[in-house]
Amino acid sequence: MSRRVLILAERSETGITDASYELLEFASRLAGGPEGVSAVLPVGDASEAEGLREVLPAGELLLVEGPALAAPTADGTAAAVLHAREASGAECVLLPHDPTGWDVAPLVAARLGTAAATAVSALSWRGDGLVARRSAFLGKFVQEVEAPGLPAVATVERGAFPAREPGPALSVRILPSPVGPGDLRSRLVEVREAGAGGVDLTAADVVVAAGRGLGGPENLDIVRELAAALGGVVGASRAVTDAGWLPHELQIGSSGATVSPKLYVACAISGAIQHLVGMRGSRFVVAINKDPDAPIFGAADVGIVGDALEVIPLVTKAVRDSG
Amino acid sequence: MNAVALVKQVPDRNSAFRPAGDWIDESSLGYGINDYDRYAVEAALALKEAGHAAETVAVTAGPADAGQVLRSCLAMGVDRGVHLITDRAHLADPFFVARALADAVSGLDAGVVLAGLLAEDSGHGQVGGLVAGLLGFSFASAATGLHFREGRLEVHRELEGGRIAVVELRLPAVVAVQTGINTPRYASLRGIMASRRKPVERVELSPPAGGGGLRRLTLSRPERGASAEILPGSPEEAAAALVPRMRAGAGITFPGDAA
Repeated sequence: MSRRVLILAERSETGITDASYELLEFASRLAGGPEGVSAVLPVGDASEAEGLREVLPAGELLLVEGPALAAPTADGTAAAVLHAREASGAECVLLPHDPTGWDVAPLVAARLGTAAATAVSALSWRGDGLVARRSAFLGKFVQEVEAPGLPAVATVERGAFPAREPGPALSVRILPSPVGPGDLRSRLVEVREAGAGGVDLTAADVVVAAGRGLGGPENLDIVRELAAALGGVVGASRAVTDAGWLPHELQIGSSGATVSPKLYVACAISGAIQHLVGMRGSRFVVAINKDPDAPIFGAADVGIVGDALEVIPLVTKAVRDSG
Repeated sequence: MNAVALVKQVPDRNSAFRPAGDWIDESSLGYGINDYDRYAVEAALALKEAGHAAETVAVTAGPADAGQVLRSCLAMGVDRGVHLITDRAHLADPFFVARALADAVSGLDAGVVLAGLLAEDSGHGQVGGLVAGLLGFSFASAATGLHFREGRLEVHRELEGGRIAVVELRLPAVVAVQTGINTPRYASLRGIMASRRKPVERVELSPPAGGGGLRRLTLSRPERGASAEILPGSPEEAAAALVPRMRAGAGITFPGDAA
């Protein structure tokens, strides 16, 4: 039985986002082929999207068009997605598990009388519903949940599937926006680019990342010394920057920097999924943590189970002695 | 107009969790307030202190002992609590929880509803948004800043790569806050004493009627397909064994290496 799946495509400066290509691949597998995939793109004016039909490999591209959708908002995007869902008859709506999906998915789900399956890495049909594999307990566990009715809504983790190659959409439909500018309750004022931090984490060959398990800012020097011995820079988990031990520019993860160094050393970082998505492109990953069950060991090549405060200076010394 | 904080009781994050059936073994766990929700409570208190809310109200859904998290909110300075009493197992479905919270919020003259971005246990990250959707309120997630501007709420949202979206919301609005948006206060002794006299309204929820959003099936530890090689021995031995592996794995030299 063929199924129809709707994804939200998002524009980037050069076309559509990498996350959109991952969603297209994920949706294509779920729908049993790209022809079962509809992609909705909210636009101010359909002419803006002219070149995109050549690079958006969906069964149908639904351009929901209207001045209210010229700039993305939570309620505007949700209205466009709901409109496209009805027009396409899709039984499943897929959104990225990122700040856009966090805004839009619950609004779409509430209107459909359901909850969204979030942080999803796999989906399969079961009867008149879906089974989702998702992350729970901040990445410590994998959970299977059932969305017993259709249509279902899910937000999909980055990196759950490879990106689909660009290609043409099989058909394009333009739908007038169901909402006008006066209907929206939110307005995008501006997007501020990241402040120019002194250190470019993304360009470093070696990143030594500090986690909450270090206990306090007074213990960061041992991380700095290891970074110096390895010729690298210091990064941090969200917990560390939230606590003010290190500036926010150094945060690695889904709301911070995405790094792919040759060597990544995670010091006392448990490895919440929000952190892992920011570093899993690293070539070689070392984890030092006292909890043998910490998820970071699942993302690492080599690990040392032990007290980071004891182990890190020993590693620094071993690196120096080996030169 | 009031500031309402939605809070959840979750297992202490430092507990040793073990999967059992479709959830975790709950037989010997300590519980406390979800960390993200402490920031929501602080944001609600700050709105009242800045004159943007008449009263602060904390609302939770959970079993009888979840009243403890309302008590900790009251001790932080929240004026009153609403406890929607239901079995812990019924918290499995975010739609059931959101509908109950939305019903409660609709009677609270809410101007701004604050929620944590997600719960540390289930991590669905959507109850605030579902409440907004069900009530027709404005919504913004991942908030790292909140300001009132001419009767509207300006929210700073954290995007990927350190970018910040500035959005303006009409009231009433639900805002799901990131950790780090503020520094949650600790309860003072006076706050704890005062909290004992503050009112908590208790409402028994009917069990879920079927339909609804999500059902739990299984919970397990992630498969370690590409699991780390754990280096054995003393810390000194492990550290020494690590260095050649880093060199070979990363394919780089270190500053101290002989040229």
